Amino acid sequence: MRTFAASLTTLRDLVCFGLTGFALVWLVQRGAEQLGYTWHWRQLPRALFTVSEGAFVPGPLLKGLAVTVEITLISLVLAALIGLATALLRLSGSFVGRCLARVYLESIRNTPLLVQIFFLYFVMAPIFDLGRTATAVLALSLFEGAYASEIFRSGIASIGRGQWEACYSLGLSRVQSYRRVILPQALRRVLPPLTSQAVSLIKDSALVSTIAVYDLTMEARTIVADTFLTFEIWFVVAAIYLALTLTLSALANALERRYPRIA
Amino acid sequence: MQHAAAMTEQNETIVVAEHLNKAFPGPVVALDDFSVQVKRGEVLVLIGPSGSGKSTFLRCLNGLEAIDSGRIVIDGVPLDDNESNRLAIRREVGMVFQSFNLFPHLSVLDNINLAQCLVRGKSKFEATETTGALLHKVGLQEKMHAFPDELSGGQQQRVAIARALALQPKVMLFDEATSALDPEMIGEVLDVMRTLAQEGMTMVVVTHEMGFAREVGDRVVFMEAGRLVEEAKTADFFLRPIQERTREFLRQIL
Repeated sequence: MRTFAASLTTLRDLVCFGLTGFALVWLVQRGAEQLGYTWHWRQLPRALFTVSEGAFVPGPLLKGLAVTVEITLISLVLAALIGLATALLRLSGSFVGRCLARVYLESIRNTPLLVQIFFLYFVMAPIFDLGRTATAVLALSLFEGAYASEIFRSGIASIGRGQWEACYSLGLSRVQSYRRVILPQALRRVLPPLTSQAVSLIKDSALVSTIAVYDLTMEARTIVADTFLTFEIWFVVAAIYLALTLTLSALANALERRYPRIA
Repeated sequence: MQHAAAMTEQNETIVVAEHLNKAFPGPVVALDDFSVQVKRGEVLVLIGPSGSGKSTFLRCLNGLEAIDSGRIVIDGVPLDDNESNRLAIRREVGMVFQSFNLFPHLSVLDNINLAQCLVRGKSKFEATETTGALLHKVGLQEKMHAFPDELSGGQQQRVAIARALALQPKVMLFDEATSALDPEMIGEVLDVMRTLAQEGMTMVVVTHEMGFAREVGDRVVFMEAGRLVEEAKTADFFLRPIQERTREFLRQIL
């Protein structure tokens, strides 16, 4: 009886899912019709890749994807380092350290990323002779690092006082306690929010197209300007971003399953 | 060997606490001009109503809590603002907590190995040898590769005792080591503590187990409101308490 009810629920869900999907496709189709839009899916593969003389030649979108992945990966590592360092500073006994961390955190969190990118690009980059890509990486790392630091801090604070006391009673130093006992537990706990921060980073990386870094979004804008394949290109670009973020989430899930001990 | 050492140095004082004062914000007086000494190989039992400052005193002895004024010297090393002194004292003083405080992300083996490797600079192989012997001693050799959440409370506390013993401390502090345990598990932990005492370990024990205090304690200190109310040899304390307050307390709990 239960199984019958369960399969009935599943069936109902499937029907709802199908109807929603159908409605979405219909809406898009209708929008295109009202705009007098004609679809040109056939031109799309060229934007992704071409095959000339049996060799695979990546198109502008794939090249842009490579840039996006590169910028994101470097920023991810830097943001994690900045975030962890800031969190440790904020929890440290040093007054100056705590102040510095606080100023960094508040100034980054309370201004728009776009403004930060422009500020770094137009004001800081000439002073320090930074390239566009370096500026983009710096802006993203600083921005996401501020949010990551709050995640790290809450994770570290969530580890009970008893763990610290056990470390201290065994003669461990503060650094040893952090490294071997507190951080391993805290990192495992903050993996889920850290993953959503990484997903944000991937999405926010689209903003670097504003300083003419040829990432996925910038390449898309160029193609759209040339070919007017507005709907097709942006659908594909959205799908690529989705694939990227879903891959990341899957990796994080696998990591969580790998270390089930600490909850 | 430890027993022999205890015999020869029977009268040597290893823990000195003089005129300790400590208040928590509130203000709550936790320690009020509290002084006590512990001799090498002695088992000192601290009893008193909750909030009397027993645990605070214990936590001051290894610097988990800072004293407002007074003097603590452990085996000749003063516990002061000097960081290296504090670390040195913590390395010589083992502590067992009410809530075990095992490291949940590490196996039993790694829990006990950790400080040996980090603090004593032992190789993993040497540490594991010591850990094996300690686990044998607390009767948990087969649990070496288990994780804390796979153990019962009594087993966890026995691992915690082994972990504290791994640094071969000169003094062991027990902060209500059996208070968080189900009744049927108290015995196994007390057995381990009894064995330690018989081997001549210097122990300062905060407990509510009066039977254990009577049997194992050499000396009993009764505290109330941060003050030392009565201090006596165990037999005298339970049979011929001097202070009226002590008699009243003993009537309530015995």
